[in-house]
Amino acid sequence: MAWELKSDRPIYAQLVERIELMVVSGLYPPGCKLPSVRDLAAEAAVNPNTMQRAMSQLERSGLIFSQRTSGRFVTEDKEKIEEIKKSYAKEISDEYLRRMYKLGFTSTQIAAFLDRMIEESEQNG
Amino acid sequence: MLGKLLKYEIKSTARVFLPIYGLIIALALLNKFFIANNTYVYSNSTNKAMQIAATVSMMTYVAFIVALFVVTLVVLIRRFYRNLLGDEGYLSFTLPVSIHSHIDSKLIVTFMWEALSLIVAGFSIFIMTINGNTMQSFSKFCMGISEVYEKYGPLAHQLTAEAIIFVILSMLACILQIYASIVIGNLSGKHKMLASFGVFIGFGIVQQIILSNVYGGRFGKNIMDGESFAYFMRTELISMIIFSLVFAAVFYFITDWMLRKKLNIE
Amino acid sequence: MDNIMECRNLVKYYPGCLALNSVSLAVPKGQIVGLLGPNGSGKTTLIKLMNGLLTPTSGEILVNGMKPGVETKRIVSYLPERTYLNDWMDVKTMTDFFGDFYKDFRKDKAYEMLQRLGINPKDRLKTMSKGTKEKVQLILVMSREAELYVLDEPIGGVDPATRDYILNTIISNYSENATVIISTHLISDVEKILDGVIFINKGSIVLTSTVDDIRENEGKSVDALFREVFKC
Repeated sequence: MAWELKSDRPIYAQLVERIELMVVSGLYPPGCKLPSVRDLAAEAAVNPNTMQRAMSQLERSGLIFSQRTSGRFVTEDKEKIEEIKKSYAKEISDEYLRRMYKLGFTSTQIAAFLDRMIEESEQNG
Repeated sequence: MLGKLLKYEIKSTARVFLPIYGLIIALALLNKFFIANNTYVYSNSTNKAMQIAATVSMMTYVAFIVALFVVTLVVLIRRFYRNLLGDEGYLSFTLPVSIHSHIDSKLIVTFMWEALSLIVAGFSIFIMTINGNTMQSFSKFCMGISEVYEKYGPLAHQLTAEAIIFVILSMLACILQIYASIVIGNLSGKHKMLASFGVFIGFGIVQQIILSNVYGGRFGKNIMDGESFAYFMRTELISMIIFSLVFAAVFYFITDWMLRKKLNIE
Repeated sequence: MDNIMECRNLVKYYPGCLALNSVSLAVPKGQIVGLLGPNGSGKTTLIKLMNGLLTPTSGEILVNGMKPGVETKRIVSYLPERTYLNDWMDVKTMTDFFGDFYKDFRKDKAYEMLQRLGINPKDRLKTMSKGTKEKVQLILVMSREAELYVLDEPIGGVDPATRDYILNTIISNYSENATVIISTHLISDVEKILDGVIFINKGSIVLTSTVDDIRENEGKSVDALFREVFKC
């Protein structure tokens, strides 16, 4: 199943995000071995050169590391993963708050609203 | 690579020729049967149905012989045109083979089928006409021929060899003339076949003009006796061979040059 | 030799038409490149020149450092826009044919792909639909381990599922030694797999760029940029 990718932004940047999400969500747990560049590229339906570029960037940022003959692995550094998770969370929250403020909610109202939403979602399972 | 081209060239054309050859031989055998039973000798005692069958068989046979020669020409023109100048040209000219090889393979295979067609036609006639009497006349004829050969010795053999070379070369030159006409005619936008035909006639006329300028007035000398006539024939044959060779080379060059430089498959 | 294809001041002139006007270009190895332009832009002429089907009027074109000829034909695998297979053959004979002439042809790969697309090797090409013939052609071309693949409109006129299959075949065939040049006007389908693009119009190169540069600098997809550049 090809990954959903937009054509108006560099593909490699979107691949980086996708893979980061897969790591923080636990799909690729710490220390896990990643599929080869070719396999990932085929899965994503992208040019292997592009996937390679994404991997290089992820290596530079420290999220993955490569062992010469064995391939590429997710970092064992759980803190690093947490960092990334938090930065995505922050991005989402910033966006959420910006839009809620735009609707006219106050901070207190937002907090209460959010509590109720969480309760409801837990009840619905 | 040439060998591989030959292989596929033969494969593509054999499926037309072999069935026709088979039919001709079969019909010849059938006719032989009718001949042997005197079916063709019309008398009131012969079975009417047999007569009709025999007539139909003979007519079909003749039709196929004619068809064979028409088909030989048509198939070979078509094959050259389609495989090199039609859509298949995209495949042919992106193969890692030289242009020469393309021309050579088609030339060789065309010649092969022309020769085979003649042999099959001849053989079918042989089948139909062979019987005790003809065998005798034939062996008398063969003895007569070998007497001539003995009498004139090496000269006769040389003459025969040169005659054969001449026949082969003329056939090749003729095929190449057709190919050259096709590639030139292909340049015209519409009516390519008509243009090719015109070019072919044009080439023929040019050849005739050249030959008549060279040979005009040579035949008219006194009739000579056997031996000097043979020598005369030899020099004539050799010069004809040279001319065929030159014409063949010119047509080959034209075909090769056109395919190399002016190729424009649509 | 880092460039699989180079043109220097390449000119191709037909009576009444200047198809290529002094084109200079270099395509590096190991990339998937799109050759994009409207009809009559000179795309097809450039492709035919690459394959040795036309000779330049002036200037030069080199494939892997050599002039187009028998040696370059060994390493270039060409998929033209039209069907060019011998109608009288069946699929098996056609496959044998490719195997006979191209040393880099992988017969097992071809049969695997034929099977995957449900094509029977005994079928005669004459009896097949246009779409199926195009698939056979594509399979034969992609089953070669060539150094340069030149694909002219490989996905035009096929259904979306086949389109995905074709694009996947192109990606998975990729190797650092191979280059793919795709000429198409279905840009949005193809741009996700391109490394770079060449825009050509009226016989001249309008733009060459990596795809990422376009997305980063212009903030739009290649398809959107193309529409802008070639607005009627």
